[in-house]
Amino acid sequence: MAQVSEIRRPNSTALPARPALLNGRSLWLLLLLLAIAWSLGQASVFGREIVNPGGWPLLLRFLHSSVRPDLSQEFLMLTFNAALITLGYAVCGVALSTLLGLLGGVLMSEVWWKALRTSRREKEDHHAPWLMARSVFAIPRAIHEVIWGLFFVNILGLTPLTAILAIAIPFGAITAKVFSEILDETPRRPMEALLHGGASPAKAMLYGLFPLAFPNVLSYTFYRLECSIRSSTILGLIGAGGLGYELLLSLQSLRYEQMWTLLYALFALNGATDYWSGLLRRRLGAVGRIELHMTHVARQPQHAPRQDIVVRASLTAAIALLVFSLWYVRPNPGQLLAPHTIERLVVVAGNSFPPDFMEQGSVLLRLSLQTLAMSILAMTFAGVTGVVLSFLAARNFLAPGGILLPADALWGWRLFSGGMLLLTRAMLLIARSIPPPIWALVLLFVLFPGLLPGALALGVYTMGILGRLMAEAVENLDERPLRALKAQGAPGPHVFLYAALPSTLPDYVAYILYRWEVTIRETVVVGLVGAGGLGRLLTEQLSNFDYRGVTATLICYLALTILVDLLSATVRRLLR
Amino acid sequence: MEDVQSLHGASADATPFADAPPVFELINVSHCFGDLIALRNINLRIGPGERVALVGPSGAGKSTLLNLLNGSLRPSAGVVRALGFDLAQLSPRALRQVQRQIGVVYQQFHLVDNLRVIHNVNAGALGRWSFLKAAWSLIWPQEVERAAQALAQVGILEKLYARTDQLSGGQQQRVALARVLVQDPVAILADEPISNLDPERGREIMDLLFRLSEKMRKTLVVSLHTIEYAYTHCHRIIGLREGGVLFDAPPAEVTPDMVRTLYRIAKE
Amino acid sequence: MSIFNRHCVALQILIIVFALLSSGCAPIPRPTGAESAVRPFTIGAIPDQDPEKLQRLYGKLADYLSAELGVPVVYKPVTDYTASVTAFSIGDLDMVWFGGLTGVQARLQTPGAEAIVQRDIDANFHSVFIANVASGLTPFEDISGLTQLKGHTFTFGSESSTSGRLMPQYFLSLAGVKLEDFKGELGFSGSHDATIKLVEAGAYEAGALNEQVWNSRVASGEVDTEKVIVLWRTPAYYDYHWVIRKDVEERFGEGFIGRVRDAFLKLDANVPEHKEILDLFGAERFIPTESANYAQIEAVAREIGKIK
Repeated sequence: MAQVSEIRRPNSTALPARPALLNGRSLWLLLLLLAIAWSLGQASVFGREIVNPGGWPLLLRFLHSSVRPDLSQEFLMLTFNAALITLGYAVCGVALSTLLGLLGGVLMSEVWWKALRTSRREKEDHHAPWLMARSVFAIPRAIHEVIWGLFFVNILGLTPLTAILAIAIPFGAITAKVFSEILDETPRRPMEALLHGGASPAKAMLYGLFPLAFPNVLSYTFYRLECSIRSSTILGLIGAGGLGYELLLSLQSLRYEQMWTLLYALFALNGATDYWSGLLRRRLGAVGRIELHMTHVARQPQHAPRQDIVVRASLTAAIALLVFSLWYVRPNPGQLLAPHTIERLVVVAGNSFPPDFMEQGSVLLRLSLQTLAMSILAMTFAGVTGVVLSFLAARNFLAPGGILLPADALWGWRLFSGGMLLLTRAMLLIARSIPPPIWALVLLFVLFPGLLPGALALGVYTMGILGRLMAEAVENLDERPLRALKAQGAPGPHVFLYAALPSTLPDYVAYILYRWEVTIRETVVVGLVGAGGLGRLLTEQLSNFDYRGVTATLICYLALTILVDLLSATVRRLLR
Repeated sequence: MEDVQSLHGASADATPFADAPPVFELINVSHCFGDLIALRNINLRIGPGERVALVGPSGAGKSTLLNLLNGSLRPSAGVVRALGFDLAQLSPRALRQVQRQIGVVYQQFHLVDNLRVIHNVNAGALGRWSFLKAAWSLIWPQEVERAAQALAQVGILEKLYARTDQLSGGQQQRVALARVLVQDPVAILADEPISNLDPERGREIMDLLFRLSEKMRKTLVVSLHTIEYAYTHCHRIIGLREGGVLFDAPPAEVTPDMVRTLYRIAKE
Repeated sequence: MSIFNRHCVALQILIIVFALLSSGCAPIPRPTGAESAVRPFTIGAIPDQDPEKLQRLYGKLADYLSAELGVPVVYKPVTDYTASVTAFSIGDLDMVWFGGLTGVQARLQTPGAEAIVQRDIDANFHSVFIANVASGLTPFEDISGLTQLKGHTFTFGSESSTSGRLMPQYFLSLAGVKLEDFKGELGFSGSHDATIKLVEAGAYEAGALNEQVWNSRVASGEVDTEKVIVLWRTPAYYDYHWVIRKDVEERFGEGFIGRVRDAFLKLDANVPEHKEILDLFGAERFIPTESANYAQIEAVAREIGKIK
């Protein structure tokens, strides 16, 4: 690229050579287009009917039921209890994962091992324990909550502990990674002062580092609660109870009125959690959620959290909620050490090894490719729609008072654009509140079965998450270049093209890639309802109690996850 | 209040501004942000080809005045005319037509960092381009010759295809100038264009700005934190203090006393 | 160090959170814990039908059994076939209403468990193949007619359903139809009701399900018979049955299994309360059965790979 030199040649008339159209970036773009085309081919979109006209009446009946949900007192009680169960699992899961995350975060952080070294007055670096801690936590992260859930069902049965552990273990591993990054990015001087004053590493960290890292830790913990509600709902689908469970039952028994009652409860639960977490995040210094995943941790908060009423109230409420949740779902941790459990673990482990690749060899390969294709299609859909909706859902764009809305717009137009803002936000909330398997089952009304409904289901769900993340990115956008172009008389669409899009696109691409890593894990979830890919095979193997086959399939998942993580990291580095 | 009629003809290259219809005209303009009064009762006429410096301490209302001149802001009271149009009366579309004739250079450059220089320069032409042409240009740059010419004029032709965020501050301000050149407006507004640059870079940019506006006979209104360049480069200096015009005079008539009053710490 | 001090309070709060959390993790008295006096006799069922109906059905049955046996009986709903097998084998459920295949799978995983009773209809059970009329498929008499299905889209019910998957797949293979012969991806609708709806909507051209469910849905007018027709009825096989764990006798005394069987056999269509339960089961009466009746199912399951 350009050499940074101060040499100026005002008289030089030689035009610099136009950069080749085919460069590193455009090559990746080309590769992406090819991958999308290949994925469409895998979903056999070409030369086949996609939309099933016969299903419209069923879909209409489903949609029509939305205006008359079942509001009988009996069913409302059931919905209320189900919502409390979903919430309870989520809260307990997050609490446990935060505990695991703090422990693991310390072990995975560079600063801890450095502190240890300082206090022992050792000279050379020890990378071994640090690297070991990092790799130990990498595996639980790669496995989806639902698979953990299926595993614990076999060990512990359908108990609350199963749902809580299924959330807490993968979440704990992710949280540990993020916490370690937060700790490493937190200013170290207070801790070092304590260390040099002779405090033990643990004490120095507790008093010198944790207090400074606390706002970011808290902010991330609340973000995890949002994710946890969604996971807890999905776990319900495999029998853990709560809203997901009731939803699946009402859908399978075609009771759409009841299904809508449950859906409204789900929207309310997700909406309230997202709002709470968003409010707290803003109060804690507007740490962009995803930034925490992207290794650079945001600036320190403006106000000390202690002084902020919202933060204090939130902490109190969170503790109360945790106590209530523990009381409500009553997990029995004693179960973990019961001889029965260990016996069962030995049996399952014995049945699971060695993995059996032989029986399904070529099938595994084909399904792995299908799974990859499904994730690519899902992300393409989520990425494109997410970009569009994020601008509509951002407060500072087309909404009243936004950059692209003329200051003297007529009230009708203002009303319309304000309505659009609410509508898109509601759409995004609905999209991410409904678990992907439910989306898949609804889509199956009108789409012919295959990879496509599964990919779309994941796509719609991910769109809801991405759209919100991106709207936050748009709201944090540097508006000055936009205002500059607007001030020179450029029309709105042009301003969008030359300022809004290019300044947000790198963030978008990074978000999409990060989300792709999540989505490849989530393909298993739609596979459970028969949407194809490895998830489909996994369901079959589980129903056959073919644990060695299950192990083989899980290894394929692991390999795919690693592949996608690597690809995503490579492209993200290229874009930085 | 000083009157526009006090415009001088002393400078050799000065045109008889008073005779031509004004490019900008403010009549009894006031502007408030909530309770804060940013400008009070301003009357000004700025003629074609005139180079005017707005000087005064921070918070005197310089940026607000510039934002009023190009229609980014609407006055709370009074009339702002640019190129003969009352900006408050224009439809959004007509306002854009007027704005196309007014280029702006900013303190913080206001470029899109992760676009190539050529696109930031071409952004000056957006008012003329169709959406499709604008979109296609992002993939295959259009009107490269014109952009190159503008960059050559500001002396960084070699950065044509560089990424903007890899340029130094001085170079980025040159890109912003090139963007204005491509826009080819009647008037240029510059809002503290050198406050973010070191003195040497600042001098280069000011020289460039004045040379270009002189050569192309463009009206220039530049707000400056300090007064020194105003003396050497402008036809007229307007001293703003606490939202009002303290003085409006050719450089020769601006005395050190007037300047001292302008920057004096507020009473009490 | 003012920032430091300010954050200390926040830290204390954090510590309280974890203190509470860890105290919360201490064993909480649990009504179903092993330490409580007698764990109720826990029954379950594979979720092959409308769950609400199952809830009503098994609620009534639990009350009846509780009265007959003199022990507390609870019904615990399960969401999928596999989970019901696992819950039974690890002892979460003492007695489960299984399908043919799940019953075999459960017994294989649970030493000593045995099949005890079933409905009169279960000894002589059938599946039906259905099709959407738009598919152009027509009813046939002989098993060889199944070859018609080649090149059409097709859905089973649940993976582990005997009448919705295992036996239909078995008869398909007898007719020489392989699963790859269907058009596109083979479906698993999840339940018999879902199969009907998906075929009615045309999402799949054809499907297979439990004949009893089909008949009852047709009788109640829930199926649009203008759109969906029966192609073929399979030969008879053994299906649903109650399977009970052996260790219940340790908890409830010697002979308990026999008493449970007798309680079922005692159900009489002439007694109004009994009739209600029998109607919900869609049966005239219950009859004794034994594990050996399911040898054929087991053989088919092994052939298809459902049992390793």
